[in-house]
Amino acid sequence: MEEVLMKKLQILADSAKYDVSCSSSGADRNNNGRMGSAHAAGICHSWGADGRCISLLKVLFTNKCEYNCEYCVNRRTNDCPRASFEPDELARLTVEFYKRNYIEGLFLSSAVEVSPDYTAERILRCLQLLRFRYGFAGYIHAKIIPGVSPEILHQIGLVADRLSVNIEMPTSQSLAAFAPQKKPKQIFAPMKQITNTLIETRALKGPGTMFKGDRLNSPDNIIGPMGLEDVTSMGNDTRALVDPRKRARKGSFAAAGQTTQMIVGAGNETDFSILTTSENLYRTFKMKRVYYSAYIPVVDSPILPDKSTAPPLAREHRIYQADWLLRFYGFRVEELLGGKNQNLDPDVDPKVMWALRNLDKFPVEVNRASYEELMRIPGIGHISARRIIRQRSFRAVKFEDLKKMGVAVKRARYFVLCCGRYYGQRKFEPETIRNSMLQMENGQQLSMFDNNWRRLEEGERQEKLALAGVI
Amino acid sequence: MMDYLYDGTFEGILNCVYHHYYTDRAGRICLKEEYQPSLLNDFMEVETDSAKATLVYDAIEEKISTYALQTVYRAYLSNDPEKEMKILRYLVLGFRDNYAAAHHRTDQAVFEMETMVKKVRCEKERMLQFVRFEVLASNILYAEIEPDNDVLELIGDHFSDRFKNDPFIIRDVKRDKAMFAYEGHWYISEGLPSDFDLTRSDDEIAYQHLWQTYFDHIAIKERINPGCQRNFMPARYWKHLTEMKRKAPGYDAAIFTVGV
Repeated sequence: MEEVLMKKLQILADSAKYDVSCSSSGADRNNNGRMGSAHAAGICHSWGADGRCISLLKVLFTNKCEYNCEYCVNRRTNDCPRASFEPDELARLTVEFYKRNYIEGLFLSSAVEVSPDYTAERILRCLQLLRFRYGFAGYIHAKIIPGVSPEILHQIGLVADRLSVNIEMPTSQSLAAFAPQKKPKQIFAPMKQITNTLIETRALKGPGTMFKGDRLNSPDNIIGPMGLEDVTSMGNDTRALVDPRKRARKGSFAAAGQTTQMIVGAGNETDFSILTTSENLYRTFKMKRVYYSAYIPVVDSPILPDKSTAPPLAREHRIYQADWLLRFYGFRVEELLGGKNQNLDPDVDPKVMWALRNLDKFPVEVNRASYEELMRIPGIGHISARRIIRQRSFRAVKFEDLKKMGVAVKRARYFVLCCGRYYGQRKFEPETIRNSMLQMENGQQLSMFDNNWRRLEEGERQEKLALAGVI
Repeated sequence: MMDYLYDGTFEGILNCVYHHYYTDRAGRICLKEEYQPSLLNDFMEVETDSAKATLVYDAIEEKISTYALQTVYRAYLSNDPEKEMKILRYLVLGFRDNYAAAHHRTDQAVFEMETMVKKVRCEKERMLQFVRFEVLASNILYAEIEPDNDVLELIGDHFSDRFKNDPFIIRDVKRDKAMFAYEGHWYISEGLPSDFDLTRSDDEIAYQHLWQTYFDHIAIKERINPGCQRNFMPARYWKHLTEMKRKAPGYDAAIFTVGV
């Protein structure tokens, strides 16, 4: 029996590993069952050989799929071993792992076996066993399969902490090309239902600090039939599901909100269109997070990058950085990208990129700038911004203090004034600052050995050296 | 200037602080058994007096802040060889500037203290991540840890709430002490009784194998990044991690031949 389970676990972990989300954050509760609790910040228990954290037991319920999405390892026409868990089998495995402190909970996704509703019902059965028979009070993240009926979705939400519906592709064109059986309507309907139910149970929190101070849970925020162009005519109004007389308890439905995931580098979308989609998702559905996954060629397909292509990890990283700027730093996509700038700069992070393009707003005097202005300086984050504000209420912030406050001085120095003095380059020009920054990032006087340097032509190298004042 | 020798307890440090003000300024504060006499300073063995300790304890809370008191206690749990003097310098500043002391982050004394306490706090978080229980034949959960700082007591509440229906023991191998917990309560005492039965339950090895298998399969081979993995999971903790101990130096594979 153990061998069968071992085999299943191998197959279904292999199939699930391309799902990005593994966070266990957003829910905070003490043990209200037989075993388990949830920690607001989440707890990662291990890190795989790829350096990604392992917080939840991330498996597919089954990888037997009816769909044939081009990018997916589990597509119907792919020749790979298939398996399914039994609800009780998976619930018991979760409890046994949890007991040993290997995991923080369960992340349950699934391929579409028979139909979305059939699969979702089996997922629901497993989660209910886990919660009610085993008294599990740990974290549960359930993936919602597009096209599932609103009733089952609601039931799943009542036992899960976090729900997610994968959007997969940033535009409806690429969705039509790569996942012809998934319709935008089927994806947005559950998203809308989740957000509306969260508002009704007064548990909608929103992404990062994007909606700080807004009353997100007021009935005005309920997403009606009108919304984003794609969202219009999405699904039916599902408000009737929550009986107003028997409203779900506060926070009992998907307390940790909803997330989604997008593939980067499968189609030919620009960073601009990817981030615009994310921003729309944040503003419309108030999602906690959008995850990005660099496309890894797992199957041969005529319309996808071929198997020898390396996953665009650096691009994924820059997109994540820009995503943080949206959620925590008060940036909007059109400030970062647009016009002839369709992609993020691979060499410097998006905040530096923005600052170099808007040098007229700099340098900023740290002793006078508002919190929002401080947050826009490269190298300063919310912790260091708060420390600066706290200190300057009784003592001026000097340049030497910045490092102790946790500021990344190697970036910040070009953009700040401390007590009226500037500590960066002599020339206050984008190119000069950019060059000297790139050299320092490599911890060497000159970035002879990094990829950027090697990509340059001889003439450009000379130019760079000249600008840096070396020759 | 006086070198104070104390017994390694928190009360002992508080007594040294007391003597710093009422006897003579402290040159160094050291553990009794580790003291190397110096030519410059006299030394004095500080007797741990609970009345004096309480006096200092209350003074910290009243004159500085509860936050400062917590910081000082966490600093006491640190393995920093200089921790006693860092605590003293922090408190001297605190008694001078009162509650504002904690906000002077750029002051050397506060900065040293905050960085030291941050290490303790981080390691506490790491222990929430890295404790790995084994189920014993007696149905008790048993784990061994070896943290750098003495964070065992900081993780008690978390685990005793989470596993309130399962008795468990977390043993700090390095300091030979163990936490015993059941039904939401816990206490720490010295080591394990010598006749304690550490036999594993029948299916324990099977579950360890399942976990290792899962661990190996969840990694995406196109993204292999050992540097990143090691950053989050430093090699010094591998010895006690079910999934990593196979790779830790000095690992004996023989204990894993039973099972599946």
